[in-house]
Amino acid sequence: MASETPAVALDGVTRRYGDTTALRDVSLSVREGEFFTLVGPSGCGKTTTLRLLAGFETPTAGTVRFGGESVAGVPPEDRDVGVVFQNYALFPHMSVGENVAYGLRFTDPPGGVARDERVSTLLELVDLGGAEHRDPDTLSGGQQQRVAMARALAPGPDLLLLDEPMSALDAKLRERLRVQVREIQQELGITTVYVTHDQEEALAVSDRVAVVRDGTVEQVGTPREIYRRPATRFVASFVGDNNVLSGPVTDVGSESDGPVATVDVSGESLAVGLDGRRDASVGDRLTFCLRPERLSLSGGETTLSATVTSTEFLGETTRAHLDWGGGTLRLRTTDPPDGDVVVGFDPADAHVVAVER
Amino acid sequence: MTDADEGTDSGREAGEEQVRARLERHALPVLAAGTVALLLGIFYYPVATVFVDSVVVEGRATLSVFVGILTDPFYVGDLAGLAAGESPLSVLGDLLSPDRRLGVVGFTAYQAALSSVASVVLGLPAAYLLARYEFPGRRTLRSLTILPFVLPSIMVAVGFVATFGQNGTLNAVLGTLGLGEVDLLFTLEAVIIAHAFYNAPLVARVTTAAWESVDASAVETARSLGASPRRAFLDVVAPQLYPSVLMGAALTFVFTFGTFPIVLALGGFQLATVEVFVYQLIRDFEYAEAAALAIVELVVSLGLLYAYLRYEARHSVRSRGIRPLPRRPLRPPSRSLGDLLPRAGLAVYGVVALAVFVAPIASMVYASVSGPDGLTLAHYEFLVRRQATAAAFQVTPWDAVRNSLLFGVGSLLLALPMGVVVAVLTTREYRGRKLVDAVGMAPLAVSSIVVGIGLLRGLVFGVEIGGTRLAIGGALAIVAAHAVSGYPFVVRTVAPGLEGMDQSLVESARALGAPRARVISDVELPLVWPAVVAGAAFAFAISVGEFSATVVLATGTDQFTMPVAIERFIGRRLGPATAMGVVLLVVTAGSFVVIDRLGGADGGF
Repeated sequence: MASETPAVALDGVTRRYGDTTALRDVSLSVREGEFFTLVGPSGCGKTTTLRLLAGFETPTAGTVRFGGESVAGVPPEDRDVGVVFQNYALFPHMSVGENVAYGLRFTDPPGGVARDERVSTLLELVDLGGAEHRDPDTLSGGQQQRVAMARALAPGPDLLLLDEPMSALDAKLRERLRVQVREIQQELGITTVYVTHDQEEALAVSDRVAVVRDGTVEQVGTPREIYRRPATRFVASFVGDNNVLSGPVTDVGSESDGPVATVDVSGESLAVGLDGRRDASVGDRLTFCLRPERLSLSGGETTLSATVTSTEFLGETTRAHLDWGGGTLRLRTTDPPDGDVVVGFDPADAHVVAVER
Repeated sequence: MTDADEGTDSGREAGEEQVRARLERHALPVLAAGTVALLLGIFYYPVATVFVDSVVVEGRATLSVFVGILTDPFYVGDLAGLAAGESPLSVLGDLLSPDRRLGVVGFTAYQAALSSVASVVLGLPAAYLLARYEFPGRRTLRSLTILPFVLPSIMVAVGFVATFGQNGTLNAVLGTLGLGEVDLLFTLEAVIIAHAFYNAPLVARVTTAAWESVDASAVETARSLGASPRRAFLDVVAPQLYPSVLMGAALTFVFTFGTFPIVLALGGFQLATVEVFVYQLIRDFEYAEAAALAIVELVVSLGLLYAYLRYEARHSVRSRGIRPLPRRPLRPPSRSLGDLLPRAGLAVYGVVALAVFVAPIASMVYASVSGPDGLTLAHYEFLVRRQATAAAFQVTPWDAVRNSLLFGVGSLLLALPMGVVVAVLTTREYRGRKLVDAVGMAPLAVSSIVVGIGLLRGLVFGVEIGGTRLAIGGALAIVAAHAVSGYPFVVRTVAPGLEGMDQSLVESARALGAPRARVISDVELPLVWPAVVAGAAFAFAISVGEFSATVVLATGTDQFTMPVAIERFIGRRLGPATAMGVVLLVVTAGSFVVIDRLGGADGGF
């Protein structure tokens, strides 16, 4: 698996528009059949990356490869990609069936089936069987999104590109549709690149996620890796809720489950598991993060006294904002705390994101 | 059939498929090259031959003709003093003195400026009415503002003669009211009002569009911040209207600077503008001076257009009205001054608008069926009789109608594809697009008379290429001239739709495997189809109403059209002229209806 040629690869790709650089020396590879998500704040370059793959943009420098072959100079219509846009871009002058059949004007349906049959198969796949003769304008947003999906898939593309396809929908529908998108992707086994600004969505549907910021890739990994082991301060705070703390290392010791650094944060000595970062030594400045759900009101190896300043009721859990003298902390718990509290955590709950000498 | 046969058959099919695919891939460059070649042949080459005349005298290049014009007080008035060595201050003094001399060029600019002011004054209340009030027929009225633009100018001139002439309806009305007679014919006022008839609806149209795109929440924000309704209007609404008003004024100036049929018919030679003199010079075979004068005219027009486009580029931050300002009912909701005053103003405006916009057409129709003894069909009978008994030099009405229709269809077939190709080319991003835009739009700025004379001398008289003489018939030349006048309007109606096209539609089609040319035919053109139909209506109507180039090309031939026939009649027999005008009106209006129907339910305006 590791040695196989990636289905899609960006190799040192840079894209500049005049003076602004949308992408800076980005290298990525997507495996065959993988659901790969680009996530980041708006303007980070994730959509530019998708457009480079589709062939709507050309790299200023670097190479885009499909199956190991450079696609430089290959126009969008010859790339065998399916694209779904944020606004779905259904052709308003065509019926649903004509929309889905449009790509079949330029290629024969895969599997040697008739065009009509391919169209109805695809519409059934997206739960819109029998909608061929409907006018796109009469469909709801979610239905339009699914027609766009069926249209993109009809010619049997090698690569499916989804550009924020859910962002115009309401939250409940978004959650339902993302499950459906994932199921269709699994069923067809199609390599998919998905662009979103919603980190929760990215974690929920992807095989792997690339966090993009200011035109560079901050981290690539499985949702679990990205969440558990953010590689940078930005990833730590962008993906999920997080407390990011930093201070000088005053001591490095060893415990049963690995080396532990003692970090002085605003006068409190906190024990932080070094995990992979064995290179930290006394005097370094260490930045680490603590997930709010990892903080405990029932103690831990390190404890801090704090005062609850406000709470947010989130349904299943409550998020408390605490003032502990060294700043604020967020904590998630099932029973709402009040007044003065003691919070604790174990060294392994902390994750180091940066060490500066 | 043997196996071998099948093999070659499928081989040929594959070959055809390949040729097709290659054609689709290269369709755009091929069409672009074809359009450019056509433009070169029927516009740039003929016009160039005319302009060469102005700088080549007896085989030698010279600027003497230009110098002659620019230093002749007849053309440039007191400005000629500058060339004679007078100080600019004394020239300015001369121009400000009561006995100033403007010269032909100066007078042309003067009447164009007055026409622009009149058009804005007459157009703004209409924009206010259309943008801010709701009443039955509002949409229809808004659509009608396009109409004057395509009405044949010579027909409008007939209408004005029928309204403001000695025996016109205005004097009839004044007579019944016991007031004295006026004769506005051959006065500057008549020319200016006729220009306003044409251009005020244009001002109204562009201003209404701008007004409708003002976001109500911007005004509401200003109100909530403490601005009075008047202040909110001045601070929020008005600044969003200025660019459109200016555009309307600038376009009016350019159009009226090149005015021809209106002045020819309503002004006479004592009010002659540059274009009328160009025509006069051509009839006197003074080609060099005519061409030089036409270039002076072109430079002024292009200079103003350029200045306007620069302004537009700097002020093109248009806010898209998410929620337009609400329209008020035209019937006053209360008897308060605030409700009554604006509506009373609109009522006064309504009377003026009736006199300016409706009276000329109504008078023409009325005059065509009235004689000294009341209602009569005598004028139409005259047309029928003339058809049977015309002498060789006289125009025959039926031939005029037939020619107009034939030329109209011919130039439509030429102008529509040209206009669509240019619209496609000018709405794409690529290097050199500005140049293509300018090359494509130049015909709008070049005098039709010059196009006519260029076609006459360049193509109808023939070109010598490698010993063989190439010449096209007069009818073809007229069709070419009409197509040149018409296609920019196709571009102008189609281009905004293409420009505003959601790019993700185009990109979706391409990702689905469509080559560039197929995206245009499958997605873009179907979506702007109403605009294509409207462009076709324009092209046809402009051809049917075209006068300037036609009169040059048709003189002395049997290729005359309805507008030419009207001009022949207008001096001597107003009755038949109005009858012919009604026929022209019916054909023009009918073409709109027909094309609208052909274009499908949502076609046209």
